[in-house]
Amino acid sequence: MKLPRPSSPYCQRRLLYCLAALALPASAADDAADFGWTTRLVGEGHELRRGSPFAAGLELTNFGRDRYRVEQELRGRAGPVSLLLTATESGQEGAKPAGRFVANEAFADFSAGGERFTAGKKVLSGDVGYAFRPIDVLQRENRMQMMPPQLEGIPMLSWDNFSPDGAWSVVIANPGHQRRGEAREDGSVALKLYRRVAAADFHGVLRNSKRYGLEAGAAASVVPSDALELHASLLVQRRGERRVPLADNASLRDLLTADSALATETIASPRKVLLGGTWTTEGGFSVLGEFWWDGTAPAATDWQRLKRQAAQRAALLGLSSVPAAAVAGATAASTRMFDQGNLAQHGMLTRLAWSDPGGRWSASADLLKSMGDGGWTLTTAVGWQGEKLRVDAGLRRYGGPADSAYRLLPERAAAFVGLSLAY
Amino acid sequence: MFRRIAFMLLASASLAVVAAEDGKVKSLLKQADVYRLAMESGRVETEVRTFKAGVPDKTRLYAVYLKPGHRSLVLFRTASERGQKMLMLGDDYWLMMPSSQRPLRITAMQKLLGEASTGDVATMTWGEDYDGQQVGEETVDGVPCLKLDLLGQRKGVSYPRIVLYLAKKDHHPVQAELYVASDKLAKLARFKLGEVDGRKQVTVMTLIDHLQKERSTEVHYLSRTDKTLSDDYFNPAFLVRADLTQ
Repeated sequence: MKLPRPSSPYCQRRLLYCLAALALPASAADDAADFGWTTRLVGEGHELRRGSPFAAGLELTNFGRDRYRVEQELRGRAGPVSLLLTATESGQEGAKPAGRFVANEAFADFSAGGERFTAGKKVLSGDVGYAFRPIDVLQRENRMQMMPPQLEGIPMLSWDNFSPDGAWSVVIANPGHQRRGEAREDGSVALKLYRRVAAADFHGVLRNSKRYGLEAGAAASVVPSDALELHASLLVQRRGERRVPLADNASLRDLLTADSALATETIASPRKVLLGGTWTTEGGFSVLGEFWWDGTAPAATDWQRLKRQAAQRAALLGLSSVPAAAVAGATAASTRMFDQGNLAQHGMLTRLAWSDPGGRWSASADLLKSMGDGGWTLTTAVGWQGEKLRVDAGLRRYGGPADSAYRLLPERAAAFVGLSLAY
Repeated sequence: MFRRIAFMLLASASLAVVAAEDGKVKSLLKQADVYRLAMESGRVETEVRTFKAGVPDKTRLYAVYLKPGHRSLVLFRTASERGQKMLMLGDDYWLMMPSSQRPLRITAMQKLLGEASTGDVATMTWGEDYDGQQVGEETVDGVPCLKLDLLGQRKGVSYPRIVLYLAKKDHHPVQAELYVASDKLAKLARFKLGEVDGRKQVTVMTLIDHLQKERSTEVHYLSRTDKTLSDDYFNPAFLVRADLTQ
């Protein structure tokens, strides 16, 4: 439900103000209406990795270019209708500011004939994990992003049924669509199940789409004591896909063609598994540990091949018979390997976090390690929450062996600061 | 033989006294509860003001829906928290953040984190959750009080032990010492009564933090209505729906 882009960010802001003006009187007139406004400013700094195997193509990519993002967000509901609208102006190095207006969510919850329904565009996140969510088959949220923008919902229609200890939903996502660009844009039908048994939650999902066929998943979250939570999640797909580099025996033509820099590989019956748990203390400290296997993520050998091909392309630079633009284009296209949600096929996350019992301060350190290739990212962050203002700041660093996914990323480190004002 | 009969009579009498004491304490707690929440199901609008070294720090608004069977649903109403929901079903807790639209099961420890413990906001009665005995009489702020030493009767109570002071005259709550699992005194609660709909009710609960000496919290009960929600609303899977009556 992206609306046509107005000509400038200023137009977009005016449009959002107009929508807010339409909504806010409803708040005054109708006791049930409730809207809030948030302004968010995110500043980023990136340190590119000098001597990256992808240096020849970096000018054509967005790596390290993001500088700032200003978001205006209107969130709330009036009667059965819920809205989340955002207008964003973002700035990249060497480019004019770009504006975007998105209706992230616009849906209605309603009852008919004693049954409950939802229709519209809605965020449909699912699963019990933190770093990786195997059964998040509808929203397919990218995890572990730094200061991510608001999630954008999916056009959907659902029929929901609730019992004292359970629920089921039939969800038609992207009705009328077949296979689209990204898996979350595909048309699909899904059955979601939920059951509560004592101190445990059980979730199930069954989804059918043209791209993956049938996907079946289950997840559980258990609280065995006041301090400990354990969770697990499993997904089995009829078919899976992943982006991989060209085969090692690819021709020079293919190596220098941007469109064929990566291939989509179909995998039969891949599995995704996550195990994890959180321990929280009275003093506000918590430790989260998660291990996962993602049968659709690239393997260590894929990253090694990507590096070899980047080196082969770089070696062609300077040859009179090889246009530099072709090398740059194909190298830049090959960095789309990093766009996949999960770079670690066999991964582990350790998160140490602390919350000030007064609620003012919070701090965290996340170490994400790819067990297959030894690559890692370390993210440290602090947050401060005031009456209306929230401030976040953090640093992220990528490292590992030279041919590991996280070390191959063209960025060495990134820093961010976020200010959020709610009113 | 005579001594054995005498011993059995004495033991029976002691048990009867203990049972009577138990019944008396339960009855006292139920009378005290009426000053906090005089209905089984309802909605309580709550404003929580936190202070640091006596200086106002933050104000937070909550709408709390309560139902019998230890069920409560807390809707966060302040601008910076708008859209958050916390559901408590007995000893089980779920949090939903608006950014993810995904109910998250949390532990009792995680429930206690954050600004004002939502347990403090959502717990409006003692009668169902605590039992104990009267351990004496004391005068608190000039009010002669009965002193009760109470222990939580289920795992999920925010404070496993409470020493509660009820006015001798009408059994309204005057003060409570709230102890955490390690038996450390966490907070001291003082209760202020006001006239609500012609009836004496607790209008403000002041919590003085003993673990963080400079912090205190005032919980203001802005309104209590008998507005109730159907059982569906107390299902964790229902939290993702937005058709909650605000």
